Amino acid sequence: MAKKWGQFVRGWMTKNMELPQDVMMDLPRITMIGQIHIYIENHRGLLAFSDKELRLLLKQGQLLIRGKAFVIKTILPEEILLEGKIDSVTYITDTD
Amino acid sequence: MKNQWIEFYRGLVTVKASGKGIERFINALTRSGINIWNVKNHGTQSVTFKMKLEDAKKIRSHARNSDCRIEFLQRAGAPFLMKRLLKNSGFAAGALAFFAVILLLSNMVWGIEIKGANPATEYQIIKELDKMGVKKGKLQFFVNNVESIQRTLSNNIEAITWVGVELKGTTYHLQVVEKNEPEKPEYLSPRHLVAKKKAVIVEMFVEEGRPVVDIHDHVQPGQLLVSGIIGKEGQTETVPSKGEVFGETWYKSEVILPLKSTFKVFSGNEKVKHSITIGNLEIPIWGFGKPEFEEYELEENEKVVKFLKWELPVSYVNKTFREREQVTRIYSNKEAFEAAKDLARKKIKSSLDENAKVKGEKVLHQSIDNGKVTIAIHFQIIENIAEGQPIIQGDSE
Repeated sequence: MAKKWGQFVRGWMTKNMELPQDVMMDLPRITMIGQIHIYIENHRGLLAFSDKELRLLLKQGQLLIRGKAFVIKTILPEEILLEGKIDSVTYITDTD
Repeated sequence: MKNQWIEFYRGLVTVKASGKGIERFINALTRSGINIWNVKNHGTQSVTFKMKLEDAKKIRSHARNSDCRIEFLQRAGAPFLMKRLLKNSGFAAGALAFFAVILLLSNMVWGIEIKGANPATEYQIIKELDKMGVKKGKLQFFVNNVESIQRTLSNNIEAITWVGVELKGTTYHLQVVEKNEPEKPEYLSPRHLVAKKKAVIVEMFVEEGRPVVDIHDHVQPGQLLVSGIIGKEGQTETVPSKGEVFGETWYKSEVILPLKSTFKVFSGNEKVKHSITIGNLEIPIWGFGKPEFEEYELEENEKVVKFLKWELPVSYVNKTFREREQVTRIYSNKEAFEAAKDLARKKIKSSLDENAKVKGEKVLHQSIDNGKVTIAIHFQIIENIAEGQPIIQGDSE
């Protein structure tokens, strides 16, 4: 109950006070340059990595990136720069 | 990504991690502030990535916690380069030694070539050069410069009139002109002997010819002394007359000498400075500080360092400061007259032949005014006054 209330307050604040959502709500900010680069901020760690797939943990749910020839160019605690040929970016959320 | 060059400078390693839980391992690394980049997947359950060398030690404990096997594949960067350089320092040392040897050999004296001298003089020159330290295998820095070699050689060796010393690369070329003792000219053409100047004849040695004058005769310049025509009237013969006729001649010499005069002389104190100049920069090696002399003369000797045939902008400079002193000489009147007389005698001697003799001298007048001594001396000199005069054919005496 309390958690939902908190989320509601944040949502309201961002809507009405014009604050960026990624800061307020701990959402990932994803920047893509064509198919070749993807830059994700605010992730919560690596879950799986191969040259065709990258799975990242988020605050809520996961992010699945599929493609070819993946190379992690930089990885920092909350940021990741991935290079390769990106085919799809999918959010996996628990449906509850 | 961070600045590549700084990473390179610090050194970086490529790590291969394999096993289960690679992702957990990477997460653990990033959370503990270890920078990794270029993470690549190689087949199943093995990745390679790069990291800083200074972090390399820290990852072991993380690897143990996440049961990954790690392997260091490649080492790159300055620290490893340095290590390799140190290991291969022999090459660098060899290269350095090679240049040093070439530099050394380029600045040695490798040959002395003497041209224009006969073997005896050549030997003498070589001996003299040896004394000066100009030898094969000597470093040019410690050899006198060309001008002083030239001066010393022409001063010390009688047999040479002139010597040109030139340093071409590593070889000294000496061009020698020998004094060819002039052979006594044969008096082949018939001639008379006539008087050179006004004189009273004192002595006569006639080898050939017919003397016309006698001792105590007073002769005028151009007067016939020894005739080259001999024989009786009618059957005369012309010969080159030969002989010496000594006559008493007179000279007047006047000398003006100041009583007080100042000179500059070297006191004998000197200071030597050695330095190396590179371009315009001068680096002193030995002899520091300014010379404490009030007045000095500076002698600078520069030796350019050569490399093979090129001259480097590096040179060895040797400076000698010689102290100069001003000396004032004051003559008393008596000393001044003596000195003036001496000077007059020297003056007359230098203008005369070697076999001339001073018979007598007479001071005509001496005076002192304005701090100067004026003296006039009359000299009686006995000298050879004979001079050849060719007999022109068909000219009847």
